[in-house]
Amino acid sequence: MIFKQEFKWNLRSLLIWSFIIGGLTFLMMQIYPDFAKQQDSMKALMEAYPEGIKKAFSMDKISMGTVLGFYAIEGYMLITLIGSIYVVLLAGNMLAKEESEKTIEFLLSKPISRTSMIFQKIIVVVLNIILFNVIVSLITLSGFLMVDDGTFDLSTYMLISIAPILLHLTFAAIAFLLSSILKKGRQILSVTVGLVFITYFFQIIASVADSLESLKYLSPFAYVDAADIIIDGSLKGLYIIIMVAVMLISTLFTFMYYRKKDIAV
Amino acid sequence: MKAIEMHNLTKYYGKHRAVSNLNFTVNEGEVYGFIGPNGAGKSTTIRTLVNFIFPTDGSAKIFGKDIISESTAIKQEVGYLPSEVHYYENMKVKELLNYSSGFYKNKVNKKRIKELSDRLELDLNKKFEDLSFGNRKKVGIVQALLHEPRLLIMDEPTGGLDPLMQHTFFDLLLEEKKKGVTIFFSSHILSEVQKMCDRVAIIKEGQLIANDTMENLTKNQFKNVTVLLQDQQTLNLSLDGIIRQEQLGQTLKLLYRGDVHTFVDEINRQTYRDLLIEEPSLDEIFMHFYENRENGGEKNDF
Repeated sequence: MIFKQEFKWNLRSLLIWSFIIGGLTFLMMQIYPDFAKQQDSMKALMEAYPEGIKKAFSMDKISMGTVLGFYAIEGYMLITLIGSIYVVLLAGNMLAKEESEKTIEFLLSKPISRTSMIFQKIIVVVLNIILFNVIVSLITLSGFLMVDDGTFDLSTYMLISIAPILLHLTFAAIAFLLSSILKKGRQILSVTVGLVFITYFFQIIASVADSLESLKYLSPFAYVDAADIIIDGSLKGLYIIIMVAVMLISTLFTFMYYRKKDIAV
Repeated sequence: MKAIEMHNLTKYYGKHRAVSNLNFTVNEGEVYGFIGPNGAGKSTTIRTLVNFIFPTDGSAKIFGKDIISESTAIKQEVGYLPSEVHYYENMKVKELLNYSSGFYKNKVNKKRIKELSDRLELDLNKKFEDLSFGNRKKVGIVQALLHEPRLLIMDEPTGGLDPLMQHTFFDLLLEEKKKGVTIFFSSHILSEVQKMCDRVAIIKEGQLIANDTMENLTKNQFKNVTVLLQDQQTLNLSLDGIIRQEQLGQTLKLLYRGDVHTFVDEINRQTYRDLLIEEPSLDEIFMHFYENRENGGEKNDF
């Protein structure tokens, strides 16, 4: 019951976010042919960029002269950064909204266990994240195919499409846990969106300042860095393990905490 | 079988004691009133019974099932009406009631939803956000009744309903009672408790201070006495069992507890114009409990 209802309620925002992010990335890729044509002059321009900027956007590692390189530098942050914001809003609201609008009393008075209630809500979040990524990736893929100059590599693109799913699931699990613990629903948005931005900046700082490189372990964005994936041709096992561990531990704590929570609205 | 049993049910919020050591049982088929002023612990008790919050100590059972470990099974048979009804604002009443029906094992009869909302004059096609406080309450009532529960737990059920609607609501409850449904509700409106309930529990500052049948509370123990005196006469009876007496002009009002013969003998030694002995209302008993406790807790041995 809850699954069906929640899915229905969240469908519209899923479609809006998917098509906006997919559409923006699609438009972004339309610049690529012009960009690729003037590559030589562009390269000279790039050289003139300060070292810090180049590092921050991974321009020191990969070339913008390929479809995926261009995407990694110009478009990838739309799905990682903006997509993560959509995801924490979605997951963070799942429980917090019921509590702040006091509709949780309704659910709790129905013959359904808290475990099953949380489980159904988690399934909605997971399904929404997967659908969001699939829609955006398909739109983006159609953009790539339109501008492909022979440099596009589908298997690498599959990896770059799967990586944000892991990132999103990680953030969703954390946001879901926080929303089950925090007392008042209003804090949850600022806390989770703040978390997304802070960890994003950790990644940028880590790539710019060599002395602070270890900061990258605190940032899920570093785990799914597109430049690294293009260079390595794979996702790093350690990063996958860290993300899966964060998801499992957060989810476990959510269940444990919520089963015993006093819900006084 | 007992509908509700509580064993030393206690709830603390941090160091603040909300209810402590509640022990009482509600028999199946009974209408049970739970009264006390705001903040006495009525809602805390009810929320513990439906497992929104967990008891700090003690336990309780509903139809022999533990309120914590078997809460899901209990809720199949319980209809719950909160004091303030909060549902999904963007849903139509009809959609909400269908959503609610979907949670129960037994198929909810669509006709029942229609019947109940017709009786309560509730428009099923309105969105919840457009409803007034009283109409929201009606949705809550239908939602609590639609799956034909064996036990109704209601927290101040009549708040927001106009007098006519309250009447309809009590009619509905009486019909449920005839079907054998147990009704447990909290209230601070004593007249509605007096009208409806077989038994009453009075709670004060988290503790149970009385738990008895309506009959015992009103008939057997207390008498409300009005004595009409002569001009300029003052009378001060000193008799065991007089709980309260006050004279206003020529009227002496007493609350008396004890053998009525003793009282009549005593009053006959005095001069007076007229005498009226009647059963007190629940209000007066209730006031007595609360006043006495504040004056040092005398004569409270129920």
